[in-house]
Order: sequence, then C-alpha cells, then structure tokens
Amino acid sequence: MSRIGLLVPSSNTTVEPEFYRALPPGVTLHVARLFLTQISTDAILGIVQDLETQSRGLASADVDVIVLGATAPSFLKGLGYDRELIARIEAATGKRATTTSTALVAALRHVGASRIVLGAAYDDRVNAIAQAFLEANGIEVLAARGLGMVDNLAVGRLGSDSAYELARKIDRPDAEAIVLACTNWKTMDAIERLERELGKPVISTTQASLWAALRIIGRIEGVAGYGRLLRDLTAPSRQTQVA
Amino acid sequence: MYGWRGRIGLLVPSINTTMETEFWRIAPEGVSVHSARIAGGRHGTPEELRGMENASKQAAQEVAMVEPDVVVYGCTSGSFFEGPAWNRKISEQLTAITKAPTVTTAGAMAACLATGGHKKVDIVTPYVDVTNERLRHFLKAHGIEVVKLGTFDMLDMFDHAKIEPGEIYRKVKEITSPKAEAVFVACTQLRALEVVDMLERDLGKPVYSAVQASAWQAYEAMNIDPKIADCGSLLRKLSEPGAQKKAVKKLRSA
Repeated sequence: MSRIGLLVPSSNTTVEPEFYRALPPGVTLHVARLFLTQISTDAILGIVQDLETQSRGLASADVDVIVLGATAPSFLKGLGYDRELIARIEAATGKRATTTSTALVAALRHVGASRIVLGAAYDDRVNAIAQAFLEANGIEVLAARGLGMVDNLAVGRLGSDSAYELARKIDRPDAEAIVLACTNWKTMDAIERLERELGKPVISTTQASLWAALRIIGRIEGVAGYGRLLRDLTAPSRQTQVA
Repeated sequence: MYGWRGRIGLLVPSINTTMETEFWRIAPEGVSVHSARIAGGRHGTPEELRGMENASKQAAQEVAMVEPDVVVYGCTSGSFFEGPAWNRKISEQLTAITKAPTVTTAGAMAACLATGGHKKVDIVTPYVDVTNERLRHFLKAHGIEVVKLGTFDMLDMFDHAKIEPGEIYRKVKEITSPKAEAVFVACTQLRALEVVDMLERDLGKPVYSAVQASAWQAYEAMNIDPKIADCGSLLRKLSEPGAQKKAVKKLRSA
C-alpha cells in the first residue's frame, strides 16, 4: 500500500475527486487544506503560510509523498519558487514532496514538448505569471488564454467542456503540447478526447500532479483514461528528467 | 461542480488513513468527499482527545469553503470522551462554522443503536482502558449497556489502521455473547467496513462500525440513497422504501 498526501486549496472542489477517480489500486489519498478563496495574487501568496503545519498533518498519516496540488500558488514568484516550497515541505516533514508547477514542467520535458499553448482558468494577470514561469523553465508559450476567473469556488463550477473548448480554440500546428492549468478546473475528462482529436499530448495540471506523485512513490503500472502521460507511466522520458 | 448531489466535508484526525478511503469507496455518483485534518498527535491520551475539540474548529473553517451539505467529525473517542454534552457542543460549534448539519461519530453510534432498538451491545475497540471506560459511560448515558468489550489495547492511533480487517472479524466473533443484541466496532481508523457485512451474515445480528454509522447519518442528513449493498444492514436501510421520508433539505448550490 502507498499513500499520497495532497495539499488542496480550501475552496478547491475538483482536485480531490479527480485524484480519487484516477488512483491506481494499492494507492490511497489523504488530504489537508490550505486557505484560499480567491485566485488573486495576494490571496495566493497567503496560502503557503500554513504550508509547514498542514504538511506535518499529512506526514503524521505517514504518506509516501506530499503534493502541493495547486498551480498558481506554486509558480507565483517565478523560477525556483516551486523548489523553495518543496524544500520547506521536505524540511518540515522529512517526506519527499513536489508541487503542481514542478510536475507540469517535468511532464512537458517528459513528453518532449518545448513549445506549447497554455489554457487556464485564471485572469490575465495570473496567466501572465504562469506564462513567465514556463518560459523561465525553458518552455516557449506560443499562445496563452485564460477564462478570466478570480473566484476559486466558481472555477469548480465550470464544466469539463470549458477545458475542451478552450484547448480546441488555442491549439495551433506548431504547438507540441497543450497545457491546461488550474487544479480546480475540471480538465481530466477532456484530455483523452483532445489527444485523440488533436494528435498531440495534452498536459493538465491535475494529471501532471498525479503523474509526478506516482513516479515519486515508484508506481509502475499506468492509469488509463487520462491521456498518454498517465497511461505510459513506465515510458522513458523524451528528454532528461529533472524532477 | 463535483458533489452536485451532495458534498461531504470530512474532518479526520491528522493520523487517520482509513476514513477518507472508506468514505470515497462508498460514495455514489454525484457525491464528493472533501477532507480536512484535525491537528494532533498519534497517541490517544486524554489530553490529545480533549484537544481535538478545539483543533476541529480550524479544520471546519478550511472545509467550510467547499460549502458542504453535511460535515462529519470523524473520530469516535474524540467525540465521546467527555460525554454527551461535550459531543453536542462539538456538533454545534462545527455547524456554526460550516453552516451545515454536523454528524459526529459518537452521535452516529448512539443514533444507530437507538434506531435498532438495542439496549445491550458488545463493543470492539482498539482503545486503552481509560478510553474504554469513557465509552461505557457514554453509552450508558444513552441507555445502552455494554455486555462484552473486546479491545486491541493500543495507545498509538496511527497503528490502529495496521489491524487487518480479518483480525477485526475474528475479534468480533471471539468476544460476542448471545446476550448482546448487536455489536459496534468503534474507531474510524479501524478497517471494519470491509467485514461488517460478513459479520452480520455469520453472526445473525446487526454489526455496526464507526465509519459506517457516520456515513449512514451523513447520507440521511443529505436525503441521499447511496445504494450501498455490501456494507451492512445499516447502510441498506437508506435504500428501504420511505427511508428518505423527511422533508427534503435544500442543497447548497452546485
């Protein structure tokens, strides 16, 4: 039995159900929450105040890995910020840790995508920070579009068709992959269909977070139904893996 | 939004590894479980169990933000330890914070035994003596006599989850007496949900578990029939004709 510890923004209603549904046999999920009501920059910065306390709560359940399952809170201060957060979690708990943003960059390197289009639930301000984070990590963002959402609870009310439609709109021939960002946005149900129709990898932040957690705990079987990233868990990386 | 049929806000002791897993296992289409952890240590000392009352308020604030339809305080000893009035206080505090009805495991235990009309029951727990004595008192205050009490006698609450379902099955069978009308397996960290159904079939009397009783009250509070066929007679009651007969509550917005 392996255990994944997931730090969820308190107003996120999506990442917990989407993780549960995709968990392979023999892996259980344990959740702690970090305060977040709005996905504005101030609110997102505040979310990590509780990081050590909540991480210790998960560590007391002896989880094998701790995932900060939040996209914007882990890229907000740019290159290396996600690594800082990982270091804080690991120092507080002695457990291995990752963040959604770390997982996203690692997943893109894994599938060999260095030019992407970015679809997100955020407003332009947060989306611009997302774009800058990816570019600082060596990933060229050919186009970026957000849905302009600030109220996090409202993001959880969007249907997965909103992710599908945005991905179709922003895709272009020179994009090697499509990124769908925000763990409170229902993306998992759109991935398989988009990959089939567009013929390229679709990397969602929820999917990449689960992928990174499963790789850290050393799961070898793939998970079907959520794109090639999770299906081919044992596939060798197209590029040298950093995570 | 996930949980369009009902969202359960689940507060578990931070060391608990069983309850989230069991709640998700039985959640039907449209029901989602959103957890928060009650800060605390792994040893079930009186100080620790008393401390959960205060620590649960923080967890309730965290889970309130998903606008749950019901909140579950998922710890048996953490809700019976200081008696029925203390249990009610916990329940009222969490409802004031979350604006949702609260189910506590101790309250669900008393309610399921009362609903079954049981006056004499056998109990299986993982607890040490002081906690077992508090449990007897709590049930006595609800008019229920404990006939036999079998315990795994472990102070470390994290380790309660290491007790295999088969060991729980054997313990229940070993201690139960003909005088007892039913058996209750206490502690949301014990993996009892996997064996309650077979225990009922093999013993010919109702067998309840802490997680099962909590789920039963949560689904009742949400007016949802989850159609759970293999986790004991208590959860099957939710599927009986007229089970959801109470006035339908308004759900929080989906």
